[in-house]
Amino acid sequence: MPDAANAATARDGRGEAPIAVSVRHVNMVYNGQHAVKDASFDLPKGNFLTILGPSGSGKTTLLRMIAGFGAPTSGNIVINGRAVGAVPPHRRSIGMVFQKLALFPHMTAAENVAFPLKMRRRDARTIPDKVERYLNLVRLGGLGDRRIHQLSGGQQQRVAIARALVFEPDLLLLDEPLAALDRKLREEMQLEFRRIQRELGVTTINVTHDQREALVVSDEIIVMDKGEIQQKAQPTETYRQPNNPFVANFIGVTNFLQGKALSFEAEGEVRFLHGDVVLRGRAGSAAASLGNGREVRGALRAEQIRIAAEEAALTGLDTVVSGEVEDAIFEGERVVYEISVPALDGAILRVFDHDVVGHTQFEAGRRVFLGWTVKDVLVFAG
Amino acid sequence: MKAARTAYPIRWRVMDALEAVAGILWPRFFRAGTPYLMLAPAILLVGLLVLGLWQMADASFRTLDTNTFLLSEDYSLANYKRAVTESLFITVAGRSLVGSIIVTVLTLVISFPYAYVMVRTPSATLRKFLLIALFLPFFIGQVVRAYGWLIILGNQGMVNEAFGLIGIAPMRLLYNYPAVLFGLVQYMMPFAVLMLAPALTAIPEEIEAAAGSLGADWVRTFRHVVLPMARPGFVGAGLVVLTLSLTDFAIPAMLGGGSQDFIANAIYDQFFRTSDQGLGATLALLLVAVGSLLVGLVFTLFGAGTLAMGRVKA
Amino acid sequence: MNGPKFPLNDLTRRRLLQGAAALGGAAGLSTLGVSRAFAQEPEKPAELIVRAWGGSWVDSLKAGVSDPFTKATGIAIRHDLTEDNEIQPKVWAAVAQKRVPPIHINWDTTTNATKSALRGVTEDLSDLPNLKNTTDLSKPVGLDGYPIVNTYGYVYVLAYRPEAFPNGAPKSWKDLLDPKFKGRIALYNDGIGFHFPAQVAGGGKLEDIPGNMQPAWDFVAKMKEQSPLLGEDPDFTTWFQKGEIDAACTISTNAREARKAGLDIKWVVPEEGAKYDTDGLWIPKGLPENELYWAKQYIDFAISKDAQQVWLDGLGLPGVVPGLTPPADLVGDPSYPTTEEEFKHLIRISAKVQVENESEWFSKFKAIMQG
Repeated sequence: MPDAANAATARDGRGEAPIAVSVRHVNMVYNGQHAVKDASFDLPKGNFLTILGPSGSGKTTLLRMIAGFGAPTSGNIVINGRAVGAVPPHRRSIGMVFQKLALFPHMTAAENVAFPLKMRRRDARTIPDKVERYLNLVRLGGLGDRRIHQLSGGQQQRVAIARALVFEPDLLLLDEPLAALDRKLREEMQLEFRRIQRELGVTTINVTHDQREALVVSDEIIVMDKGEIQQKAQPTETYRQPNNPFVANFIGVTNFLQGKALSFEAEGEVRFLHGDVVLRGRAGSAAASLGNGREVRGALRAEQIRIAAEEAALTGLDTVVSGEVEDAIFEGERVVYEISVPALDGAILRVFDHDVVGHTQFEAGRRVFLGWTVKDVLVFAG
Repeated sequence: MKAARTAYPIRWRVMDALEAVAGILWPRFFRAGTPYLMLAPAILLVGLLVLGLWQMADASFRTLDTNTFLLSEDYSLANYKRAVTESLFITVAGRSLVGSIIVTVLTLVISFPYAYVMVRTPSATLRKFLLIALFLPFFIGQVVRAYGWLIILGNQGMVNEAFGLIGIAPMRLLYNYPAVLFGLVQYMMPFAVLMLAPALTAIPEEIEAAAGSLGADWVRTFRHVVLPMARPGFVGAGLVVLTLSLTDFAIPAMLGGGSQDFIANAIYDQFFRTSDQGLGATLALLLVAVGSLLVGLVFTLFGAGTLAMGRVKA
Repeated sequence: MNGPKFPLNDLTRRRLLQGAAALGGAAGLSTLGVSRAFAQEPEKPAELIVRAWGGSWVDSLKAGVSDPFTKATGIAIRHDLTEDNEIQPKVWAAVAQKRVPPIHINWDTTTNATKSALRGVTEDLSDLPNLKNTTDLSKPVGLDGYPIVNTYGYVYVLAYRPEAFPNGAPKSWKDLLDPKFKGRIALYNDGIGFHFPAQVAGGGKLEDIPGNMQPAWDFVAKMKEQSPLLGEDPDFTTWFQKGEIDAACTISTNAREARKAGLDIKWVVPEEGAKYDTDGLWIPKGLPENELYWAKQYIDFAISKDAQQVWLDGLGLPGVVPGLTPPADLVGDPSYPTTEEEFKHLIRISAKVQVENESEWFSKFKAIMQG
């Protein structure tokens, strides 16, 4: 993905940034199982990269190898031009925020932040200033004397960030530190991470299973599954142009239309047959894998489907089908419909209606019409 | 209706019946008293202890009449005066105190790595082995273990035989102060490990990883993070080991060769050898006092440790 | 009846007289004196509990006294091996609280038994028929009547391994001060048996006991420099067997036990003398009458010649009945005194003096040894 990397740096206006972290063919094998399989990527300096994946996808294992907790079975990790294979964590210049924060409960907030400076034998006279500067950076000015258990969850997060950054590490690693927070606080902290990272320009790798977080904070996203990197791209590209059905399904709410490939048209349009219904979409996999008669799946995002009471309201769309509302779930900013479509053998399509204020909600059992365009359907092999 | 009845599981009906019976035996308005009812055995136990202490206190002020072997009717401080002035008791008390402190320090130093490995090892087999090795001595008991040392460390024991093989003449390894301390450390280790292990379990592994990523090597991680965080464990284990060794009887009696008495041995002598229950009671009460004082001192200095059941000292 | 010191209630007295009459009658008919049931015999308990010392001590008692008694009377004997020092407060407490005591018969050192007698927890045994056949030794010194019946004597000898004494047997307790015996000597942990010879070895006189025992303490202090091991009866046998010690001041029975195990152990009565003491049997107050009666029968049987012969063969100790045959290995042995000449070398101090001062002697000895 050199294009994506270039795009990311171009957008930040930093030009061609040097590579901060280079992961090359890294494998991690536990008991004969690949926890991480042939992972390779480059991360330019100053970038915010998120490794996104379900639990067990190998994302944390990969992060811990970068941090130095466990060496790869094979492959190389290079940080700032230095191969770090067997370098222990305390000899690497890496700040890490842990899942459970791992703050030292027997120290105050300030003592926690001062800890890495002391361990790294920085000039003792500069430590108090520095600690204060970083506590201010994370907006904890004046709370340095508090013990950890006297701080709120969000404040503890901030101490952990300050502690990981105060010694100006080459790399900041975030190991799902927001996973345990309630949603509001989590979203607030996501923006904080973003702000602080931008302010300091520190190269950051974040690990999460929260797609929203990945989309919000990252310059780039790596999606992992079963130990393998599925896609590395900017957030918008990851969302718009998923590499494969896994990525398409993992990010966003996606309907899959099963079928057999019929023909490959101009401009990458693919026609495929579901029963005796012809469906159309654009190629998401290599053209060769979408040959005539092959099993294919068309990915269609829930928000791309228009819903209307009358067929006439959907004129201009490439595909229109009728269906029956099975369930309607009001989520506040949207209504999620589950609609069975007889033309697709009763397959259930999930559809978002985002104009909750302007539209009336359809009741269960109601007959409705659904429509979408060719470019909304991304066709993958298999 | 019938379907509903069969759907109601028999176990629920049994529970309903039991609750009904419980309701008759212990009506609802007694409920507030339930916690106190649960405390009753403990109160009874403590009550008996206090009663016993009271009787001991009474005896401690009476002197023994060797003409009748009865305790005097009148009260005096004679026993207390003897206890704090006679060189025998001062020697023995000093030996017990110094000994129990040495034993506590040594036991903690030796037990910590054991507990640490047991808690942290990724190998289930090793953990099981360490646990079994820890609990086995509990089944064997103090006297049998001390006897084991008599066999191993005796003049014709395994150790001296091994020395013999490399040309070292048999030497007396038993019946001296170091032998008693050695036996006590060995006896106390399982207690200490058991008290330390929960404290170490309570330190998330992530914290040690964090210290590493923040620049601390394992020595400094241990010194600045593990040690202070394990303090409740050290305090708890230290208190248990200190009080147990201060009051130990069997090890000094068996491994000391008769000349390394601890306070408990002196008390035994008074009760069972010279039949002086008054002086025995005096020594016992002084031991209780000194022990409580030590425990109180530790509580004040370090908090109650794991003995406070996780309550953090504010 | 020698005017019992301890008042008996009328009922008990009547019972005792009946018992004595029964015994008198039975003695003529049977050596056991208890083998025939008389109409006036009180009901037999299922068992009697006798406190005893373990090891060869209880084995000998069982063979010589308990088993024949059971055979003759049908009353089972249970041996309670609680330490003598530990049973004492239990018995005292039971009597004080007017409970039935935990044992029927206590096999005790005369010194310890005297404490109990002074405290008034012992039954009077003056009316035992077999007492008339015993020597003076059976009567406790310095007490009225027979609150205890002494059953045999023993000597705290100097036991040694001949191997460690290449120049021949030690002649004096002072021989143990040789530096080569440092850490190789054993004494009782309260010094019992050692105080009196130490008084002589330290240059003092036995007549000064208990008034001036400084010579004894000086000698004990010298012995302390030898770092002796301090223990109790079974320890001596074990220590000899394990090669931990070369010499000990101990009751000859313990040394003989080690010798029976095949070790080369000998013993002497050194020139300063050796302590001679006795053990006895007594019955705590508070037993139901029938049990008291049969407990007395047990003790009466224990001082019969037949019982003594077997029991004391096992212990290797001289009994309180004249005409016993000593064990073959102990003929002429200093630990088995029979003649006037042999008794001259032995130190015998009255139980009363011992009882009254023992506590002080013990602490004095302890203070020196623990220092």
